[in-house]
Amino acid sequence: MKRFEELFAPHMDAAYNLARWLTGDESAAQDVVQASAFRAFRFVHQFVDGNPKAWFLTIVRHESYGWLKASSGGRWVAVSDEISEDDPELSHAQTPELLAMQAENAMLLQQALQALAPAFREVIVLKELEDLSYKDIARVVDIPMGTVMSRLARARSMLKLELLKLHAHG
Amino acid sequence: MADRGCSARRVALQGYLDNELEPAARAEMAEHLCECADCRHALDQARLLSASVKQHAAYYPAPDLLLRSVFASPPATRRTPLARVRDWLAPLFSAAALALALVLYIATPPADRPWMEDAVASHVRSLMAGHLNDVASSDRHTVKPWFTGKLDFAPPVHDFAAQGYPLLGGRLDYLQNQPAAALAYGHAKHVINLFILPANGPDKPRETLALRGYNLVAWQLGHMRFIAVSDVEAGELETFSQLVETGL
Repeated sequence: MKRFEELFAPHMDAAYNLARWLTGDESAAQDVVQASAFRAFRFVHQFVDGNPKAWFLTIVRHESYGWLKASSGGRWVAVSDEISEDDPELSHAQTPELLAMQAENAMLLQQALQALAPAFREVIVLKELEDLSYKDIARVVDIPMGTVMSRLARARSMLKLELLKLHAHG
Repeated sequence: MADRGCSARRVALQGYLDNELEPAARAEMAEHLCECADCRHALDQARLLSASVKQHAAYYPAPDLLLRSVFASPPATRRTPLARVRDWLAPLFSAAALALALVLYIATPPADRPWMEDAVASHVRSLMAGHLNDVASSDRHTVKPWFTGKLDFAPPVHDFAAQGYPLLGGRLDYLQNQPAAALAYGHAKHVINLFILPANGPDKPRETLALRGYNLVAWQLGHMRFIAVSDVEAGELETFSQLVETGL
């Protein structure tokens, strides 16, 4: 218990934050973190070295997806990391002032991030809010390190698009 | 811009922003940024967005209650490797115990099985020998006193004619060599034998089973054992048994 607490107590906020962003639900996030802590506690002897935060977040992510899957009735969205050249959202020249304005609106930003597919939302949360390295993100999200950068590129451009969309609809 | 490889650089730009590029790639990107306004612009936007998320997106800290429940829960005791093994095995043993209990429950005849066999045998005999009733009466005030002196207990006797189960009569019978009151009830063209005799032990809820083609409902109430046997449908026998149990 002592080792478990030493290793993971500092990362409980990160765990809850990720679970909360992925599930979008307070009580689900609590259940997820509880279950994750239980798992981490069970397998703590398997943790030898490396980043305990990434190790713990891997479990939290797994549990969060389990919850998502169960609550969505098994429907699942495939994720493509491909960025086609003619993606309209990638033409970065448009409306910089608008984007700057929208990005300053905390409520809109929150809404836009929540609107992203979990696969994109999670890399933004892990990068911007947890400041994880690409290596650790690769570990947590279970993708090759080379994919992290393209996943982030896609996630960021989707976020931008969502922000601009929110303006159009507002 | 495509001709200068800017689209392809859009991905590497993230690495540049996040300080994740190898030195050589980083230098190359820096050089390109100097001469490409489009990419500089893209970088600015990405930087703006990144800063905005850091500043505005909610950060949800773990609630106190959650922390307390995670770190103050039973695992707070020191865990030896043995304890860990035990943690693993405990659910396994519970599962095994449950499985064993199920097997025992299904495979071993319950203690009252012989009573049920006797009840069925007696029911069949009563029909074959034309010996259904020693006292043929639909009047419980006739049937009940008849048992007095023949049994060392007073069986409850009720007529359920109104509910479709008229009392036909009663006789003295034996189950497992113990004297029992056998009450005969009719239902349509069928006969229901209700055996009543003293029993030890606590009350037991009604239990339905089928034996040699007959339906039985057995229960125990107030130190009396009740067994109803008939060829009527299980559901009807259950209805009858409910009447008896609640009518007492």
